[in-house]
Amino acid sequence: MELDPTILHVAIRWLHVAAMATAFGGAITVLALSTRPGADSASAVLSVAIRYEWLFWAAAGVLAMTGIGNLAAFGVALLGPTTDWGATLLLKLGSVLTLVVLSLPRTLAVVRINSTGADASGSIATLRNLYGATTVAFAAILAFAVWLAHGVAR
Amino acid sequence: MKLVTWSLATFHATAFVLAIVLFAYSRDALGAGLSGLNTFVGLGLFVALWATTYLTTSRALRGLDLIGSARDRGGYPRRALRWGAANGMSFLAVLGLVALVAAIANTRPGQVTSGILVPFLFIAPIALVVSAAVGGAVGALFGIIDLALFAVAGLTGEGARPAD
Repeated sequence: MELDPTILHVAIRWLHVAAMATAFGGAITVLALSTRPGADSASAVLSVAIRYEWLFWAAAGVLAMTGIGNLAAFGVALLGPTTDWGATLLLKLGSVLTLVVLSLPRTLAVVRINSTGADASGSIATLRNLYGATTVAFAAILAFAVWLAHGVAR
Repeated sequence: MKLVTWSLATFHATAFVLAIVLFAYSRDALGAGLSGLNTFVGLGLFVALWATTYLTTSRALRGLDLIGSARDRGGYPRRALRWGAANGMSFLAVLGLVALVAAIANTRPGQVTSGILVPFLFIAPIALVVSAAVGGAVGALFGIIDLALFAVAGLTGEGARPAD
């Protein structure tokens, strides 16, 4: 029995969206926690941030894997980079690569803060900045993705 | 499993694949390249690359304290080169094994030795040397990029010591 390719492609898209929701939603959660007043909550926020970093990298791998699967579903019908759609895809891919590259220092900074036991108020401000930037980057990538999925392809 | 190992390994695998996809698409060569790839095979190849990269990265980081020791960070690029080469060979071995099994399954039994195994044994050592060179070069490049990103994260001196 052969698997219907439509089912496979829908499953891959579902996995892609689930991984994006995990990564984006997690960044918003850590940002929201770090903007709450009270330095005594710093260790709790740091603990959530460490758990988020594990999830983020798992989601990043799944997003890369399923994202290429989504592009493969287009086959030779994939619009070229000179079209409006293609230029947006280039922007999205470039943004994703930039986010992945800049996420490594974020993870390392969170591990460093966790291992040195840096002062609470200083570290909470750092976490707020790191996850604020991550949230903005994810929002931009999501905007590109929505345009690619629902914009006029030309 | 450590977070630093997990993040570095996944960073290497995803950034490597994303850079190739971005380059291929900017040259309008991605659609044709991906259309010849079965979806399951494509997903399987990424998982294989992710797994071999994780295993080789964890070996490269064994005994090193990249967060707390500047000396360990200094020795990291050499290990990245060596384990990058090992990763290239490991990934090629997975590819070769899958290709070999698929080829044997699609060949008449009488022709397997002369048509598949002999050419495979001839090509395999050359391919392994090439994959080691490519893997080593990519590993060395990532070693340099990683060091730059360690600096961006504020890991430049001996300051980061584990908390009591």
